[in-house]
Order: sequence, then structure tokens, then C-alpha cells
Amino acid sequence: MNQNAKASLLLSDLQQDQRGTIKMCVASGVLKQKLLNMGFIPGAEVLMIRNAPLRDPIEIGIQNYLLTVRRSEAKLIRVEVL
Amino acid sequence: MINVALAGQPNSGKSTIFNMLSGVNQHVANYPGVTVDKKSAIVKHCGESYQIVDLPGTYSFSMFSLEERVAKSFLLDEDTDVIVNVVDASNLRRNLYLTFQLLELGKPVVMVLNMMDIATRRKIAIDIDMLAQMLNVQVVESVGSQQLGKAEILAAIERASQQAMTKPFKINYGELETYIAQLEQQITLESTIARRWLAIKALEYDDLILKKVGLTTESIRDISATIHARHDIDVDQSFARQRYDSADLVYHKCVAEKQLGKVNLTTKIDRLVLNRWLAFPILGLVIYLIYQLSIIGGYKLTNYTWPLFASLKNVVIDMVPEAQFIDVPPITDFAIWMVNSAIALLNYLPIFFILFALIAILEDVGYMPRMAFILDRVFRRYGLHGQSTLPLVLGGAFVGGCAVPGIMATKGIADERARLATILTVPYMNCLAKVPFYTLLLGAFFPNQMGQMMFYISTVTLFIALIVARFLTSTVLANHETALFIMELPPYHLPTIKGVLLRAFQRVYLYIKKVVTVVMAVAVVLFVLLQYPGVPEDEMAGFRGEADKALADFDRKAKKTGVYSLVDEQAEVFALINLYDGYKAKRMLAGSKKAVAALDRSFLAANPELFPLVRPESTDAKKINKAVRKLSKVNKRLQMAMKSEKIANSFLGMFGRALEPITRFSGFDWRVNVAFLSSFAARESAVATLGSIYENGQAGQRAEESIARDGAYTPLHAVAMLLFMILSPPCIATMVVVKLQSNSYKWMLFATFFPITLGIIISSLFFTLASSLGWSGIQMMQFFYICVAALALALAFIKIKPSAWQVGE
Repeated sequence: MNQNAKASLLLSDLQQDQRGTIKMCVASGVLKQKLLNMGFIPGAEVLMIRNAPLRDPIEIGIQNYLLTVRRSEAKLIRVEVL
Repeated sequence: MINVALAGQPNSGKSTIFNMLSGVNQHVANYPGVTVDKKSAIVKHCGESYQIVDLPGTYSFSMFSLEERVAKSFLLDEDTDVIVNVVDASNLRRNLYLTFQLLELGKPVVMVLNMMDIATRRKIAIDIDMLAQMLNVQVVESVGSQQLGKAEILAAIERASQQAMTKPFKINYGELETYIAQLEQQITLESTIARRWLAIKALEYDDLILKKVGLTTESIRDISATIHARHDIDVDQSFARQRYDSADLVYHKCVAEKQLGKVNLTTKIDRLVLNRWLAFPILGLVIYLIYQLSIIGGYKLTNYTWPLFASLKNVVIDMVPEAQFIDVPPITDFAIWMVNSAIALLNYLPIFFILFALIAILEDVGYMPRMAFILDRVFRRYGLHGQSTLPLVLGGAFVGGCAVPGIMATKGIADERARLATILTVPYMNCLAKVPFYTLLLGAFFPNQMGQMMFYISTVTLFIALIVARFLTSTVLANHETALFIMELPPYHLPTIKGVLLRAFQRVYLYIKKVVTVVMAVAVVLFVLLQYPGVPEDEMAGFRGEADKALADFDRKAKKTGVYSLVDEQAEVFALINLYDGYKAKRMLAGSKKAVAALDRSFLAANPELFPLVRPESTDAKKINKAVRKLSKVNKRLQMAMKSEKIANSFLGMFGRALEPITRFSGFDWRVNVAFLSSFAARESAVATLGSIYENGQAGQRAEESIARDGAYTPLHAVAMLLFMILSPPCIATMVVVKLQSNSYKWMLFATFFPITLGIIISSLFFTLASSLGWSGIQMMQFFYICVAALALALAFIKIKPSAWQVGE
């Protein structure tokens, strides 16, 4: 049960300063390519850095750089909490 | 000539390297058919010429963004001899992702390890020889911001252009290799690009490449399906993973980081700048500073620049034929008109220069994407983008800005739909040149509520801009391409003075080249429309009668003095009037007593006989001087009256009358129509035209008073005019920039006629409503304000059409 809940976590659900590894990307086409190019590859580590002052978008650390992503897009990425 | 392409990821410091290599003689153009800047320069080194092109910064070569497509098609079509790959030395691993794809092209590559100073400071040690050996390229260290490494880079380019490629670099893509090899065999295209690269891109479903090599998407889909079935791998994912894994491998062999995990400066600054509570105050402060320094400070600077322009005007006036009392030669009229139009635009140069420099600083520092991060949520509600903040602020978030730099600042917005929407909404913000018009009407009709009305005007514009943006993005722009919001927050950097000034100059130059020329052409047309057919003969006879009477009066007075011989001929009288007016104009510009004395001396030397009458010392001269002053006043009054008559009779005046049936619902008569029509060339002319139409010849009366006393208008008329002006179409300068940034005449026309229609509808609606309900002007404005603000807020709560990639699709 606990295992399942963990696996289904979305990138947008991570709490501040929480780390996770990417499980998969639910996207297709150029969008998937873009996410892959930016380093959203299964196994890659992400760090939730902060929410924007209005809670959306979010700032994350991935592949040694800082990225901002809207929550709507962060929902496309499944992560496992480390 | 050897063609060199400069490629690199965003924030790798590519443009500082380009600036270092090229110096100031850069050529800025657009890539064919798109609005992406193409900077190039020709550099001489050891007797050979190198044409260096700065490609847009890209993370990869996918089909995702305009920049990526542009960079890719440039490398595909142009005969690039050497590729210079600029890499952020402090972030080698990620930068290698693009490097691999550049190496796969099969062309000589020079790798520039930029920002070595930062890497050294962070104790990142890079084994250059190992890196060069692993990638089989030349590697050069440099610090672009300190001009270090120019000679070495040029030398490396020279060597690369002479050597043949020995062993092209290859990533091993594992199971995919068989399929890459198969595709390579199918590709028959003869080009300087490695077949392997074409095959890889084809496997990645790259439309551009598929078209180029003549393969169909279906055939690729079949291959992908086969791969998936046989090896259970996803092609795209596999490519990306292999590239990142290879980067990891290279990184671990070549780089030793000794301070991993240490909190760096960017993290510390971000803790403040992006703090939940501090982010907005800091953002407000930054915007306030930009505004103060550029608009307010730049406006103060114009105090120093306008004497320059005014003396330029005097030079021109000295060159054209002089007026014969009330008869001004058309060429003189024309010259003065053109000079005035040019000055009105050039006057903005100090403001623009400061603005462009500040934007360049913000871009270099890295604050721009952070600004977008903070405000994205608000703007997204209206179909805009976080990056729309700056353009809207520049367009006039407070008392006044200018749409021209605002629209020019939309360049960086990644989302095409939001970018177009921003371009089309910036003109609704408060243009600085509208302010004199507002003050004129408010001064005439609401002298006691000016502050309140000004508050309504300056805040309602933002609501209107947001509503229009929301309307456009859910109607005409609904099907335009939107982009995923993935934006890097680059590490903070100190900007270089050279880089900032260079960009500010380039943008000001673009303004002069593109905008001023078009506006001048329009000024010619407007001149003709306003001057012809001219004052009717019978009216002219009346003016002449008055002029003759004034001249006779002067003659009678002059006769009584001892210096009559100096002015007993009409030509002499005319010359005296011109001398008197000319002296007065120049005297205004002379600031100090010393300057006045020098001016007097030069005038006396040029006009030994008449000048003593302009600066009289004897009693006789004083009498003549008094008479001349009167004559000059009569002259001015008659000129004004004639001008007013001329406009009434002009083609534009006729057009204004023809529009009356439409505009009468909003209470505009032909005079207002003419003022609005002439305001297209530059907003300032609305006030000037309205002023000269209302000029009733009574000297000393200000335009505000004459409009208020005219009696034709009530405060309701004034508010209707204000509403139209708030919504009114962009000036020609803005239209030119809309064309430049949207790359389409269609959008330029839309940007012109949509606001006119909207303005007419809104002002008619509220004018009719207010007149039938018996509101006061203030009530009408308040009602309008409440409606707009309520609509804007309501729209924020209605969900916008979801993006195509929303979960579930």
C-alpha cells in the first residue's frame, strides 16, 4: 500500500527540499523530447527547491541546474521519493 | 572566406564570446522568415577572413522551440566550415548534451570552455587534454567577460579549418546502432553533414530532417515499433539517456570537483529574491527603479538634448526661404513640419537608450526569468506568460511608458501565443505621449478632480490590457502554438559594460533605422493631407486685409521716428519681423549672460542696420521695437487663424467630417476626429492639432481655456474622448515595431483596427449611457472603471482553455 502511494507521486506533489528520482514521463511528441532534453530521464535525481510566491510555478533542481516548471507540467512526471 | 558557426546552450556565455571575437562591427539581421536575431561579424585573422554567425542558444536540436529549429536549419543549409561550441566550464556535464549532437554533425568543432574563472573559483578542475582526447576536438579555455582567450580561439579555428576530420566522434547508442546504420544506408542525400547525424535525427522524428532526406514519418514509426517490440525500449528516451550517460562518463574522467554541495551565491541570492514574502517587494522595487531611471531620468535628460534639436531646427529654418509676413513659402512650412516630426521622435532617444541598457543588464544578471517565475501565475490567467511582465511595464504600467521598447522586449517570450498576445496588448498600456492629451482635457474639464481622474486612467489601462489579452488568446490566437513552461533560472552573473552598451546601441540603432524612417514618410503624407487644398480665396482676402491694416499702422508709427529710412520699404519691414522672431527663438536657447552677449554680437555683425531696432537703445529705436513687437503678434495670430482654417479645409478635415456620422454617438465632432487622425503619426500631434484648431487668436489664452470656453463640449464629451484615447490605436512607430516583432502585416493591421473599433464602441456606449442617465463626467469614468476592473477580476476566475498536454490526453 505504502509502496504504491510512493510510486504514484507526481513531481508537483513533492514538498520543499524533498528529493526524488524520476520514474517516468507521461508525455508524447515534442513535449516528451523537450522534457528528456532538459534531463527528465528515468533515474535522474530531482530536488524540489521552492514554490513561486503564488505557489505556481515550482522551482526544481535537476542535472545540476535550476528549472522552473508549471504545476500543470510537473504533473506529467512521476517520481519516487528518496 | 571561412564560415564559422557559434553554438552553445543558453547561459553558456555565448554572446560574450561572440562580442569578444567580433568587436563592435556586428551585423544584426533576422533569420529568414522568423523574428530570431541573427548576429554575424567578419573577423580577420592571419590574412584569412572568418564569417562568424552567432546561433541562438539551444539545449538540444529538437523541434521544440523556434530557436532550436532556426539553429538546426542554419547548420543544415549553410556551408559551415567550423563549429565553435561554447560551453560553461562550471557546468560541463549538462553542456555536453548539445556538444555530442554538434560532434555528430561530422564537422570540425572547437570547444571553448568559457567562464573558467567561475570554474576555478568553485574549485572545479578540468583535465583539458583528456577532454580533447576523448572528444577528439580542440579545447580552448577562456573567460569571455574578461576578454581572455580570443587569440587562442582564433588560432584553434584556423587549425580546425585546415585539418581534415580524422575520426569523427561517436556515442554508442547500443541497440539503436543497427537501426541507425540501416537508415544511413537509405539516405542518399549528398551533403556536408554526416549521414549518421541525419539518421539519428530521422529516428527522432525530426520533420525538418525527414523532409530533407525524403523519408516519411510512417516508415520511422514502423522502425520505432519494431525497436519497441524487440528490445522493449523507447527510442527518444534511449537517445536522451545515452547522451546523458556519455556526458556522465566524460565528466567523471575529466572533471574533479572539490566543493560539491557547497551553497553557492546564486542559492543565497535566490533565498531572498524568490522568498515568499520578499519576492513581490523586491520585484516592485526593481520595476520602480527601471521606471525612475529610464522614464523619469530619461525625461530629465531630454532637457539637455532638446536644445541640441532646437538649434538643429534653427539651422534648418535659416536655410529655407524666409516668410514674407503672413505669406510663408510652402517649402518653409514643409521643412519646419518635417523637422518638428523628427524631433518629436528623436526626443525619445535618451529614454530608449537608458531603457535598453537596463533591460540588457537585467538579462545578463539573470533576473528576467525570475521575474517570470514570480508573476507567471497572474499572467497565465489571461493567456499571457510570466515573461510578459517587463514588456507591459515598459509599455506604461504607471503614468506613462512607451510601447516601442515594450514590444521590442517581447522577443524572449518562449510561448508563441503569449508572445503575440503581449505584442498586441502592450499598446493598451499608458503611452507617455498620451499624457499631455489627458492633462489638456482634464485641465479643461476636471481641474479639481485631476488627481482622481489620472489615477483611474493610469490603473484602468492594465485591466484593459489583461482583458484584451484574455479575449485575443481565447479567440483569434486560440489555435496558436503554446509552449511548455520550462525555464532555466541561470546563475547570477555580473554584466559586462561592453555587452550592455553594445546591445543598447544596437537596439537604438534599430529604432532609428526602422521606425524613424517610416514615420518620416508618413509625416510627408500627413503634411499634404493637412495643408491642402488650403485656405479658400475669400477667407484669405480677409486675412490679407487685416495684415495690410497692421502694416499700415506700423508704417504710420515708424514715420514719426527718425529712423524711418531703415524701414520705409515693405521688404525691410518683413526682414525686420523675421529678424525679431529669429532673434527671440535663439535668445531662448542662450542660457548665460555671456551666451546672450555673444549672440548679440553675431546678430549685430550680420545685421548692422536692423539689429539696433531689435535690441533698442535710442528712443526712436524703442518706438520702432514696440511697433515691431505688435506686428509680430498680429502675424502670429493671423498665422494661427490661417492654420486653423487650413486644417478645417484640408483633406484630413474633410475626412474628419465624413466620419462624423459614426463618431457622433461618442460625441466626437470633426475637430476631435482630425486630432485623433493626426495622432497616428505621433501621439504628441493630437494635442498640437487640437490646440491649433481651437486657437481663437486671443493671445495669452491657453488651449485648456479655449477648449473649455468653446462651449461645444461637456465633461461627458471629455470622458468619451479620454476613453477613446485610452483604448486608441498604436502610433505609427508602434505599428512598425508590431510588424517587426510579429513578422506579419496582418497582425500590424489587426493591432491598428481592433483598438479603433473597440475605442469607438466603448466610448459610444458609455457616452450614450451617461447622457441618457444624466451622469456627471466623474460618474461616467467611475462606472467605466468599475466595469473594467470587475470584468478583469471575473476573467481571472474562469479557467482558460487547458493546454494540449494536460494530464489525461
